[in-house]
Amino acid sequence: MAVFRLGQSWDPLRDLEREVDRLLQSVNLTFHGVRPGHKYPAVNVHESASEYILTAELPATAPEELELTIANGVLTMTGNRRDEVEIPEERFRRQERPRGTWKRSLPLPERIQEDQLSADFHNGMLVIRLPKAPQEEPRQIPITSD
Amino acid sequence: MSTDQPDRSQHLVMAHQTDDSTASSTERYVFTPPIDIFETDDGLMLRADLPGVSLESLELQIQDNRLTLFGRVETVLPEDAVPLHREFEVGDFLRSFILSDEVDYDRITARLSRGVLEVELPRAEQPEPRRIQVNAD
Repeated sequence: MAVFRLGQSWDPLRDLEREVDRLLQSVNLTFHGVRPGHKYPAVNVHESASEYILTAELPATAPEELELTIANGVLTMTGNRRDEVEIPEERFRRQERPRGTWKRSLPLPERIQEDQLSADFHNGMLVIRLPKAPQEEPRQIPITSD
Repeated sequence: MSTDQPDRSQHLVMAHQTDDSTASSTERYVFTPPIDIFETDDGLMLRADLPGVSLESLELQIQDNRLTLFGRVETVLPEDAVPLHREFEVGDFLRSFILSDEVDYDRITARLSRGVLEVELPRAEQPEPRRIQVNAD
């Protein structure tokens, strides 16, 4: 191990951070879809020619417990992640799946048709489609002079 | 029952090769899905979060004492979609488990609902103790 690194000052915090990361990786604390310190649920946004597409993985969520609202250009999602039949804690031999209520707000892109928004929730995967507003024709502004 | 999981929660593997030689092999993510295992009155229940996996794209198999689940996630995006913001990677789910003798392999049932796979692992009937006659010379 190099004692001195050229062009780089000694950074004990970064080394510590890297070491902690390595330890956490080895015990496999993080699982797909849930990362400590990140917002839940994780959301991907894609753009096609005609629409924006938001996707989020929401397993174990009943459609009736998922709520989507739009106000002032912000999409707010709330939900509850739980199993149909609750199991007493002492029966678990292994418990990795997260549960509980959550809320997340996302600013929406401009120039979308909010009233045309559609959401599909299938196999624990939420897909929200936001159609783009049609491009307006450039409009000439008449200039008057004295 | 013990879990047999890779030391990393995600790793890149080559997609399953198909017999079709024209099919190009593409790299896909494979994730370890989170699971719960709990005791029921009849045995054990396993639940795994598999968002985006449909009944048709889920494979559940037992070989010897190893239970393996593999769920393929089909894309829901149109072909011309380009990513603007990405917080999670899309990939398939794979995990396997070593079953103990207390499970009756022939009566295992499973169902998929709301992106959650539920596998029922009934307890095997314990055979009655049998008395062994000891004969003297």
